[in-house]
Amino acid sequence: MTSPNKQNETKYPVFIVLGSGGHTAEMCTINMALLTSARGKEIYNPVRYIIANDDITSRSRITSAMQKVGVALDDTSFIYVPRSRKVGQSYLSSVFTTLWALLWSFWLVWSGQPKLLLCNGPGTCVPFCIATYICRQIRRLPSTTKIVFVESWCRVRTLSLSGKLLRPLLDLLVVQWPALAEKYKNAYNVKYFGKIM
Amino acid sequence: MQWKIIYVTVGTTRFDELIKAVTSAQVLNVLQKRGCQNLVIQYGHGSPVKNSRNILHDYGITIEQYDFKLEVPRTDILNADLIIGHAGAGTCMDILNHGRAGIIVINDKLMDNHQSELAQQLSDEGYLYYSNIEGLAKAMELANLEELKPYEKSNNMKSFVRYLNEMLAT
Repeated sequence: MTSPNKQNETKYPVFIVLGSGGHTAEMCTINMALLTSARGKEIYNPVRYIIANDDITSRSRITSAMQKVGVALDDTSFIYVPRSRKVGQSYLSSVFTTLWALLWSFWLVWSGQPKLLLCNGPGTCVPFCIATYICRQIRRLPSTTKIVFVESWCRVRTLSLSGKLLRPLLDLLVVQWPALAEKYKNAYNVKYFGKIM
Repeated sequence: MQWKIIYVTVGTTRFDELIKAVTSAQVLNVLQKRGCQNLVIQYGHGSPVKNSRNILHDYGITIEQYDFKLEVPRTDILNADLIIGHAGAGTCMDILNHGRAGIIVINDKLMDNHQSELAQQLSDEGYLYYSNIEGLAKAMELANLEELKPYEKSNNMKSFVRYLNEMLAT
């Protein structure tokens, strides 16, 4: 017999944003560690990977990473979303695409009700963090919903723009170098675990 | 240790100054002294080396070059005695996680220097060497690859995962 608690756990999905390039590479490493941890296959199930619609490599990269730890992904594991801002896009049009991306994120979070939003930049994840935060504030999501951002390995002394913007909304911001850990040692939500990549 | 095979990589960027520096007389002299026989160059969006025949003739170094190659694991990194790479995070990580020795060359012309911060940090911690274009020949002359530390992560990822799992359980 499953306890009501267990039911709750399986009811809500985990949303993981794949940011393309090096961001996806790091997220693959993180996901392999999550899914091989004790109870990992229980906690991180179901997972929905959020991918920008112009990102053509992230899906196959996460699929083969997950295969290595015995997790099979299928079409239902992926959600494609519009990118909020393309490189070189004009300021005015990026205002509209950002609003559009925010609307999309809001709808996906509202209907999907994730128990965890895990991301590591770049910009694609910003509207999702905002949407999850708002949905939690207005009680669409329970207060146990977590928003977690892992700052990328290449940020040694300064947070990325996404990291800086999102920090006030995050339940956990993981940094990967001692200089950043020192800089944010008084921030309640910033943690440093040493080298993880 | 002899540097028989040297792999030069610029990732998905264009960094012709690096290619030019590596094939300059100054650097080729050092390479010859270090016992280099093969120089494998991944030139990315930049231009290939044109005088490879002269280099073979003058220094006895064979040049092999290409723009991009998609492979996991990266055999060119695995086969090299030394990697000379641009300061991209992916390149640094591939060198370290394949357990190879590397000299990272900073592109001074790039405005955003957070990538050079990474190379500097990795060099401060003793995992890699780092240099700018002007200092490359000197850095290669002074480099003692046996001195580089292996890149170890111990159980840090496990601690992070445990922390996250506990956070979700409450």
